[in-house]
Amino acid sequence: MSASTQRLGGRVNSQTAINLLKSNPIFVAIAALAVVTSFVEPQFLTGENLNNIIRQFGTLIFAALGMTLVIMAGFLDLSIGGIIGLVAVVTVTLIDTVGQGPAILIGLSVGLGCGLLNSALIISSGALTQAESLFITYGMSLVYGAAALMYVQGVTQFLTYSKTSIALFDTINSGGIGFLSVSAMIFLVCLAILYVIERRTYAGRAIVLTGGNKVAARLAGIPISRSIVIIYSVSGVMAAIGAVVLVSRVTLADPTMGTPYMTQAILAVVVGGTALIGGRGSVMWTVVGTLLLILLNNCLNLLEVSTYVQYMLRGAILIMAIWLDRVKQTSVSK
Amino acid sequence: MVVASAPAALLTINDVSKAFPGVKALDHVTLEVRPGRVHGIVGENGAGKSTLMKILSGVYEKDSGEITFDGNVIDKVTPVESMHMGLAIIYQELNLVNTMSVGENVFLGRFAESGGRAGVHAKARALLDSIGCKVDTHKQVSELSVSDKQMVEIAKALSFDSKLIIMDEPSSSLTNDEMQKLIKIIHELKAKGIAIIYISHKLDEIFGFCDVVTVMRDGHVIDTRDVSSITRNEMISMMVGRTIENEYPPRPECAGETILEIKGISTRKLRDVKLTLRKGEILGLVGLVGSGRTELVRALFGADRVAGKSILLDGKPVEINSPKDAINLGLAMVPEDRKLQGLLLGFAVEQNISLAVLARLTKRGFIDTKGESSISDRQIKALNIKTPSGRTKIRSLSGGNQQKAILGRWLEMSPRVLILDEPTKGIDVGAKYEIYLLMKKIVEDGGSIILISSELPEVLHMSNRVNTICDGRINGEFDPAVASADEIMAKAFEFA
Repeated sequence: MSASTQRLGGRVNSQTAINLLKSNPIFVAIAALAVVTSFVEPQFLTGENLNNIIRQFGTLIFAALGMTLVIMAGFLDLSIGGIIGLVAVVTVTLIDTVGQGPAILIGLSVGLGCGLLNSALIISSGALTQAESLFITYGMSLVYGAAALMYVQGVTQFLTYSKTSIALFDTINSGGIGFLSVSAMIFLVCLAILYVIERRTYAGRAIVLTGGNKVAARLAGIPISRSIVIIYSVSGVMAAIGAVVLVSRVTLADPTMGTPYMTQAILAVVVGGTALIGGRGSVMWTVVGTLLLILLNNCLNLLEVSTYVQYMLRGAILIMAIWLDRVKQTSVSK
Repeated sequence: MVVASAPAALLTINDVSKAFPGVKALDHVTLEVRPGRVHGIVGENGAGKSTLMKILSGVYEKDSGEITFDGNVIDKVTPVESMHMGLAIIYQELNLVNTMSVGENVFLGRFAESGGRAGVHAKARALLDSIGCKVDTHKQVSELSVSDKQMVEIAKALSFDSKLIIMDEPSSSLTNDEMQKLIKIIHELKAKGIAIIYISHKLDEIFGFCDVVTVMRDGHVIDTRDVSSITRNEMISMMVGRTIENEYPPRPECAGETILEIKGISTRKLRDVKLTLRKGEILGLVGLVGSGRTELVRALFGADRVAGKSILLDGKPVEINSPKDAINLGLAMVPEDRKLQGLLLGFAVEQNISLAVLARLTKRGFIDTKGESSISDRQIKALNIKTPSGRTKIRSLSGGNQQKAILGRWLEMSPRVLILDEPTKGIDVGAKYEIYLLMKKIVEDGGSIILISSELPEVLHMSNRVNTICDGRINGEFDPAVASADEIMAKAFEFA
């Protein structure tokens, strides 16, 4: 028995996977949709389309992994939309002045800085509820987005217009060893680090305890403020990594390019089974949730379902995921 | 032919079992209730009383066994169906719609067949009169006292021609007069041939007006006896599974020099409160809810912001700005509200226990999970916490065992000063006694305790010294071995 991995909420082993499939019809529904699509649209299983799926996975997964810790601690981070836009434009505009490597590092630092600023605002305002964190980070998302727009005067920045080398971005986008692309490697490293933090470290336990019951955790000496700093910093940095990967793929930076990711990331986390109220979840399940979400988008596109209906479906899935989690929780507690 | 002295059973519960994840809530329970009798059911928290009632009313489904009511086998019923069959339950928290009138509540959902507005009020009036209740049927339920609300519930039960009325701890929020009224009504219902199941913690009530009593423990029926043929001590030992000579262990010996001195704490509520605590002492803090007693210990523990605070530990001034600071100095606090402030309900027992020493279990950022398990196993064993394993979610444990787990959390760090705010609230006699023994052991090992409790006897029996707190000030000090309860209460109320 893998004792050590069973400690926290959503443990990962084959038996729970089966239980989860049983108790999570969303998984089954999306899987069924994929099967149907592969029959109706032979295009689905072409190499080109699968490649497409993996690429879309790229940006969203980084934002979603960061969001997982935030949600596990019982908070939300809506600022990642703004952070992605800001990091993207800062990185691209700095390539010519400081070089590509330093530009990426500065971009990541901007992400970290935004995260630290978020946590400072949340701690200093004494916000302890999810709703408060939602409004504060939404406000900050507008601030970061506006900062990005002011910085480039609303003009889209093209990576290919750079006068110096952008080889690093090319490598991130298309480089790789065997079938492991560079972005996939970055993803695996991030996942491994976050998973270890989540399962084995004091910081990870403090985060999930914070999500479980902030008052009780604080009275038992768990530093809540430190957890808040960690989750928002991680979320900021992960959004920044996502921004760099996104810029590498689309070869341009636009101040508003991050907007879709803030809701998609939350959706991916919740579909993966991390409880929106906090205290339970895992980055591993977020990987599954993200994959399912992208699969869903891809299938709907291939089946030529209108964008409006797709939006509606996404909303429905979010509500269903929360509702199913409720049902699961109430059936467990007597 | 039915013999008059032993009427046929109205309700037969035969070999009923029910399990929840990790807990066998009911284990082959068999019980008979006869019409015109008041059938008391007693047992500690977690004995299975509530589960049994919820199966009867259709809230839960039984796993096995058979239930017969009024000649019909009940298998799956909804709460509404069980009401129509003549089985009514009056829950402790009462199920009335506060924003509707008395009459509307009695005939909730049955307005049309009850003759509309006028009919509803006329019929409700008649039912209330039949139990001697004078409440105006047009009055909104939110304006009623708890006692009157219970009368409305009883009228509602009668409106269904109930043959069996189950009352779940009805006395818990009644005054003495109201209780007398309820007893009178119970006698009237009995005279009408209605059977009553009366669930209670209070033995006085069982001996006062019940005919038969069933004692439950750990999901089993221990025995069903005529009340006239059982003694009080017999009943207690059946409830707790052992003989208790005393409700409280002998008072621990107090020794020692001053360990903690509050030179002054001021908040919006507290006015320059001073307090001393000696080594090996249990200091009782008596005050009404809202007197500032909880604010005082929370301020001491660094849980709330304060206007001014000066504290000496071992004669040296210390800064306590957060619970973490307090813990690092060897202070510990079991907070007032177990569920909201103490427990992490969704987490395993061992994660709840390891909480206060988690930092010590961490090496270079990583938690030693093996050490965590062994710590929790040790506390589970030492405190006799009843749980299938350390991995079980603490949510599924009974209140007493949850409280012991919280105590275990703090014992693991061997606190120098342990603050206990209502440590035995809502837990049963047996677990209470175990907690008293633990308190005794803590002070004998050199720790000190500040005890807050609304149960005055508890404070009087356990403390070496009692301070009263009233309106944000410490206004009296007593030796509980000498002072009377009246004296102390008068001071806490500031009547003296």
